[in-house]
Amino acid sequence: MGKLLDIRGLSASAGEKPILHNIDLTIGEGEIHVLMGPNGAGKSTLGQVIMGNPEYAVTAGSIALEGEDITEKAVDARSRAGLFMSFQTPTEVPGVPLNSFLRAIVAQHGELQLKGKRYKKRVSQIMEQLEMDEAYLNRELNVGFSGGEKKKVEMLQLLLLQPKLAILDETDSGLDVDALSVVSRAISAYRDACAGSLLIITHQKRLLEHLAVSHTHVMVNGRIVENGDASLVDDINANGFERFIKAAPNRANAPDDAQPAHFDATAAVAHMEAALAAADAGKAGA
Amino acid sequence: MGTNAKTLRNANAMPAPTWHFLRMNDTEITIPGNLSVAPAVSSMVAEDAIAPAGMFEYSLAMLQLWWEVAHPTDALQQASIAAVRAADAGATYGGTAQSRYQMRADAIEAANSLEESFETGVGAEAAEFLRQAAGDPLVIASAESQVVNALVTVQGASGAFSAAAIDVVAAMDSTVNLDVVVDSPDASDDAQGFTATTIRVIAGFGAQVNIRRMQTLDAGFCDIDDVGIVAADGACVEVAQTVLGGEKTYTGLACDLRGSESRIDIDLHYLGHGDQNHDINYIVRHHGVRTECDIQASGVLAGTSQKTLRGTIDLIRGCKGARGNERESVLLVDEGVRNRTVPVILCNEDDVAGNHGATIGHVNAEQLHYLQARGLSEKQAEALFLESSFDHAIQQAPSEQAAAGVDRLARAVLGQSVLMRDAEEDKGAQ
Repeated sequence: MGKLLDIRGLSASAGEKPILHNIDLTIGEGEIHVLMGPNGAGKSTLGQVIMGNPEYAVTAGSIALEGEDITEKAVDARSRAGLFMSFQTPTEVPGVPLNSFLRAIVAQHGELQLKGKRYKKRVSQIMEQLEMDEAYLNRELNVGFSGGEKKKVEMLQLLLLQPKLAILDETDSGLDVDALSVVSRAISAYRDACAGSLLIITHQKRLLEHLAVSHTHVMVNGRIVENGDASLVDDINANGFERFIKAAPNRANAPDDAQPAHFDATAAVAHMEAALAAADAGKAGA
Repeated sequence: MGTNAKTLRNANAMPAPTWHFLRMNDTEITIPGNLSVAPAVSSMVAEDAIAPAGMFEYSLAMLQLWWEVAHPTDALQQASIAAVRAADAGATYGGTAQSRYQMRADAIEAANSLEESFETGVGAEAAEFLRQAAGDPLVIASAESQVVNALVTVQGASGAFSAAAIDVVAAMDSTVNLDVVVDSPDASDDAQGFTATTIRVIAGFGAQVNIRRMQTLDAGFCDIDDVGIVAADGACVEVAQTVLGGEKTYTGLACDLRGSESRIDIDLHYLGHGDQNHDINYIVRHHGVRTECDIQASGVLAGTSQKTLRGTIDLIRGCKGARGNERESVLLVDEGVRNRTVPVILCNEDDVAGNHGATIGHVNAEQLHYLQARGLSEKQAEALFLESSFDHAIQQAPSEQAAAGVDRLARAVLGQSVLMRDAEEDKGAQ
């Protein structure tokens, strides 16, 4: 299979704070990758950085999609190029009915050729699949929707846009059994429809039960510390992340962190003494 | 018969004025001369729900009797009324220093008169002028527990002043659904005219009154939407206003939540495009205990359009447990727009809550990122909000004519139909 997404030496920060460190990740066409890790490891940040969220700055490395460097590309251009992200907490957009939103995003993906009756028919099909009442189309986008309803709207967009690569950021979080079942079926339907690639960020195994996971990655402290196959999911499910956390380099002595690699205590003390002496001299002068 | 040129001063006035130099306290409405006064008004309402003129005044007098029994005026209040009126008339001021607004407000409260305190949002001068221009009012009166549906259509025509006066008297536990459509379907591109509605409402004990007004006038028209409401115990009023068209529009609503546990919900959607100017004024006075109001205004301003929104929640002494909320969201699409918002909460009672909030600006960063992550550029995201105004209006359209009016404006503003979009897209795809 050809390379779809190729991330090389990627480091990223939020403001002054480094979060991702030297990430290498390659996702082939049609592959299903699972990204796991303890809370705060940087998993969602990786998803956001791949998608181009301007809140994060890429400080090193590159992201390529189908061989084209997209590191500097705008978010909307990445979407049109075939990237999709299912948000962990989908944003509410008052004033925009769901139907108006769906029409607008479909219009940006001309390759889908979903206009007029074809659009309406396709949306109806998907909503039936997701067990959603079509009355949702007249409601404002995600406004007042429950957590489960918001996730269904994300799946509705996934099935409508059929992207080349979908990043699912904890799509299973906060879902009851029935909603989880609907979302699982939606992911399977996406795979059946276009054999798209997936990067699934999750803490749970249930979402993965009906999917042929090809690669599993473990992230700790902003680094990918372990790569494996589907069996790694079972391992983590049974034993947790403790061994990865213990083995991982911590943030303080990470070579590409903002802090110096070696803390020179002697130099620091000398610097402080010089500052105090200067302050004393100032007082004496006054 | 034609109109004489006239200027209605102190229209859409805030009850408690702010600094004059801000030029926000009120507005002026200029009525051009030589407009033919030929109301092009049609109504659809069941025969048994139409009452004779004077029904509103009679019902207000009945409500006054109930109010006086429940809230008798004592001798001290009477003395206070006399003192305040004397002061207001220019006599020597005494006692505590009060603004002219406070003196007048105290006098109205002390008078304990529903008739004296009844007001409409645009103001007394405008209401009187509009009632004269409209002629006999359409009086809609429901019987106890009855459900009444009414549709009133005001058609703007070039060179004409079309006005409708509507009175609603909703009896105990009844429901009145009033839809008002203001449109100019047959106007030519250069047509100029004036439309107006003035609506007075008495919502009786436990009654539900739903008013939905949709305005889709062409660019050369001016419009006045004037509403006054008084609500008895347990009455509930919902008002949905959609302002899409017109050159200058004036929307004013005043509501007296007189009865305990009465409430009003106001939902305003507006769109500013071209060089439109929308002037809006809401006044909700909480008299009754545990009364509630919720004012929600959302709009999009594009081109060089302007909008002023005054929203006053008046928590009057005695309204314990009352809750007032006003919230506005304005999306500014173009640099040339001008938005003015004046939320005011007047409070003369403890154990009450008054909240206001406004979101004004471009699409916020989080929303923009979400929309961009689906392939929309910043410009396209803002255009989506503009288009959504029409989609929302189509959903809310109370009649086929209203929907057609929304679509006509959509073609003019967006360059495409929102009603026939599927058919046109299918045609284009062939």
